[in-house]
Amino acid sequence: MTDAWRLLIPLLPWLGGAWIGLGMLTGSRCGEAGERGTARIALLCTGLAVLGMTVLDLLAATKGILPPASRITWLESGHFRVTLGLLTDLPALVMGTLAAGCGLLTMRFAVDYLHREAGFHRFFLVLSLFVGGMMWVALADNVVLTFIGWEAAGISSYLLIGYAYDRRTATCNATRAVLTNRFGDAGFLLGIAMTFLFLDTLEWRNVFTGVAKLDSLLAGMMAAGFLVAALAKSAQLPFAGWIARALEGPTPSSAIFYGALMAHAGAFLVIRLEPLLWRAPFWLAFLMPVGLLTAVYAAAAGRAQGDVKSALIFSTQAQLGLIFFECGAGLFEVALWHLTGHTIWRLYQFLLSPSYLHLSVQPLRPVPGWLANSRTLYRLALHRFHLDALLDALITHPTRALAQEVRLLDTRVFSRVAGRPLNESPLPARVQEKDHAVAPGNDVTRGRGMLGHILQDSARSLAWIEEHLILKSSGEGLLGALTFLGGYVSRIEEFLGLPRYLFLLLALTFVVIL
Amino acid sequence: MPPLLLLLLLPTTGALLVALLPSRLAHRVATGAALATMLWSGWVASLFSDRIAHLQLLEKIVWRPRLGSHFALGVDGLSLPMLLLATLLTLVAVLASGHVRTRVKGYFIPLLLLEAAMLGVFAAQDWSLFYIFWELTLLPLFFLINNYGGAQRNRAALNFLLYTMGGSVFLLLALLLAYDALPEHTFLMTAMAEGLRDLPREKQILIFLGFFIGFGVKMPVFPLHGWLPLAHVEAPAPVSILLSGVLLKMGSYGLLRTAILLPDAVSALQGGLAALAMINLLHGGVLAWRQIDLKGMIAYSSVSHMGVVLLGIATLESTGLTGAVLQMVSHGLTAGALFLVIGLLYERTHTRDIREYGSLTVPAPQFAFFTVVAFVASVGVPGTSGFIAELHVLIGSLQRWGAWSALLSVGMLVSAAYAVRTIGVLCTGPACQLRIDPPRRPEWIAAAMLTLTILLVGVVPAPLIGKISATIDQVSDLFAHRL
Repeated sequence: MTDAWRLLIPLLPWLGGAWIGLGMLTGSRCGEAGERGTARIALLCTGLAVLGMTVLDLLAATKGILPPASRITWLESGHFRVTLGLLTDLPALVMGTLAAGCGLLTMRFAVDYLHREAGFHRFFLVLSLFVGGMMWVALADNVVLTFIGWEAAGISSYLLIGYAYDRRTATCNATRAVLTNRFGDAGFLLGIAMTFLFLDTLEWRNVFTGVAKLDSLLAGMMAAGFLVAALAKSAQLPFAGWIARALEGPTPSSAIFYGALMAHAGAFLVIRLEPLLWRAPFWLAFLMPVGLLTAVYAAAAGRAQGDVKSALIFSTQAQLGLIFFECGAGLFEVALWHLTGHTIWRLYQFLLSPSYLHLSVQPLRPVPGWLANSRTLYRLALHRFHLDALLDALITHPTRALAQEVRLLDTRVFSRVAGRPLNESPLPARVQEKDHAVAPGNDVTRGRGMLGHILQDSARSLAWIEEHLILKSSGEGLLGALTFLGGYVSRIEEFLGLPRYLFLLLALTFVVIL
Repeated sequence: MPPLLLLLLLPTTGALLVALLPSRLAHRVATGAALATMLWSGWVASLFSDRIAHLQLLEKIVWRPRLGSHFALGVDGLSLPMLLLATLLTLVAVLASGHVRTRVKGYFIPLLLLEAAMLGVFAAQDWSLFYIFWELTLLPLFFLINNYGGAQRNRAALNFLLYTMGGSVFLLLALLLAYDALPEHTFLMTAMAEGLRDLPREKQILIFLGFFIGFGVKMPVFPLHGWLPLAHVEAPAPVSILLSGVLLKMGSYGLLRTAILLPDAVSALQGGLAALAMINLLHGGVLAWRQIDLKGMIAYSSVSHMGVVLLGIATLESTGLTGAVLQMVSHGLTAGALFLVIGLLYERTHTRDIREYGSLTVPAPQFAFFTVVAFVASVGVPGTSGFIAELHVLIGSLQRWGAWSALLSVGMLVSAAYAVRTIGVLCTGPACQLRIDPPRRPEWIAAAMLTLTILLVGVVPAPLIGKISATIDQVSDLFAHRL
């Protein structure tokens, strides 16, 4: 267990986040006064994570790739066994160090950038969650743990796009982004399921050795699941629409999520899957056209943008397309280099973007001629090639129509059978107050729906039994009988008090005795 | 000083102190006595060893050698949880009695004496002593209901007294029959149990029926529950807490003891007991659903929940029996919490009509919170004590009767119906025009203690189950070869 400390490294940002969250819950972390403390905790934890990653890197540099760290079983059911453990090969170390380092830089930037913002503490909480999630994506030694980090990153992205949750566009875009990403998550889960099904293992190392013996069709199915996840996360072509909407969040979050880390998680997953992809040549080749098309799409759309952040995000997307292309061509090492360099450069650019207006002396470059001269192309680029509208038409509208039909069925059939709730109006109590000043009569014990009527009827008959047979005849009846008997006894007593009856009784006794 | 004797003496001393000291100190002295008793019962629990199935901390003095009666106190896995429950609920009742301003001594003296008598019932290991303590609980309760209750208090008190005395007559008769049937004349529980086991089945059944009527009135079992709605509704709220929280458990506790005493009779009547339990469960639940009076509703829900206890006992196997004991504890906690909150609300609003309440969350958020926790616990939502108990009973009855246990689920459904309905009316809808002060500190502490215990038992049930499992296993072994 001497190397168990390594497990702590990717957990550190989460611990920091939990600390901040606890403070927010108890109310000790709020307002401007708490800003220093919150920032200090977040920076300390992430800083320690950076330190830990550096130590790991140095160890790896001096001693070669480390043996896997000791693992703790977290979940076990039959063969299904999820462990907490780290895989420290080259891509993992690179990505992990990048995640921690970029996280630290962004946090330091945000301390000043978000000063006196309403959601200061919330921002650092979510950012800690994100940095931890990304580190797990990079370092986890099994598929499930990677997925947990993947989801943590996805959720924190959702939370930060919706950072200004009182703005309608922000919440809409957050929902859109997270829903698009859910497609990828579904693919990821399918991938996990197939991994477990085909290879009977969840650990990356065993997956890498196991795929060598796998049929290429099965390998292709596995790869397809994971690739959907990677394409969605990195906003490659069929899923390319969400990333432009994701810029609603504050600049530091845009920088780290879409400029730097999260968008690259997809590319990282592809690099991680290298042995699997070699077994599935079709999907490997498939990456080339997808990457290339995305690059062209993003380049054209980016040229038409007028503001800094949008231009940057499309350029990021184009670079990601190129990284996917490189992977598709089999140049995984080049892709890793590209990924590293691009991450750092883009983070710098994004963090600089708020001050571009001050920094740049020359006017904005005009839209290049090849785009400006073709009206159709320009319009398409400006509308981002109608990708969102296409998705709406293909998925959103049919879903909505289906929902309406189901709702109709629900109100016409099921609600009638099941009964309606007591307070139908969803309005808060205060609003209703005036309309129903008086509570609705005997409503409380009226059954609704089929079961309610059965209950009501049985309650009525049971109440009759209770009233007449139990309360009256036994409870009251006992008292009544006693009163009745008592009356008789006291009358007999009265009679006995009279001398003649006493005499009669005595005479009777004598008769009996004699 | 033997620990169990001291446990009985602490509240008695408290009653004595209340009687001697000026009345303005009465509430504080009573609180101190109840707190000391609770802490002492905690100490007793720490002396208790989980591994031993037999009686522990036994204190035995021969009382009347010719009759074979002993002053014997002891605890095992069945009585220890009841002792803890009784001391906790008495403390809660005392804390919730802040509104008693007149005739204070006459209130707290019976209350503390009642605690001593209840503890005596649970600790007694001799049937004659048990019977004495059993009868001793009646008098303080009669005075408490008769002097401090609601509008129909006199009728309720008399009704309660007559009913229970009527039951006690059968209890006494059965006890004497059993005593008579034994070759060696003794009242000690363990000795009687060994002697009675060899009796012919018919005689056992006869004796058991006497016990069953006596305990069935208290518990209450279906046709014998006539006293309960009236007494629970009319009693002052703290007394209702003890009535439904502890007094009803005396009935089921006695029934458990009887089951150990007469295993052949119980296994012969198993089906009948289960049928009665189901009737209890549904009858109480459906009637609770129909009540508009909040206290009446909780009273009938008690009938329903005691049906679950009876069902657990009727399974005669270890999971079901464990469930019965857990449900006794859980119902004590939840019914106590419900009566506490409703009593405090009534004290502030002077109405128990559910239709006059609404959106308590706005004027009284703390009350709303405590009510919701108590109601969801009484339905048996996971994370609360009710879930653990009902789950055990459900598993036990599934093993015993298979598909018939679906009736238990119907009962749970009905209880969910009225609980959710009540939560809905109390906490949502049009806001009521009532003015509701927040709970005072002692009341808040009482409610918080109950809520915490409910959640604690719900989340970490293992320590409690550990305390009862050794004894339960021994009891279920009794029936293993009889069924």
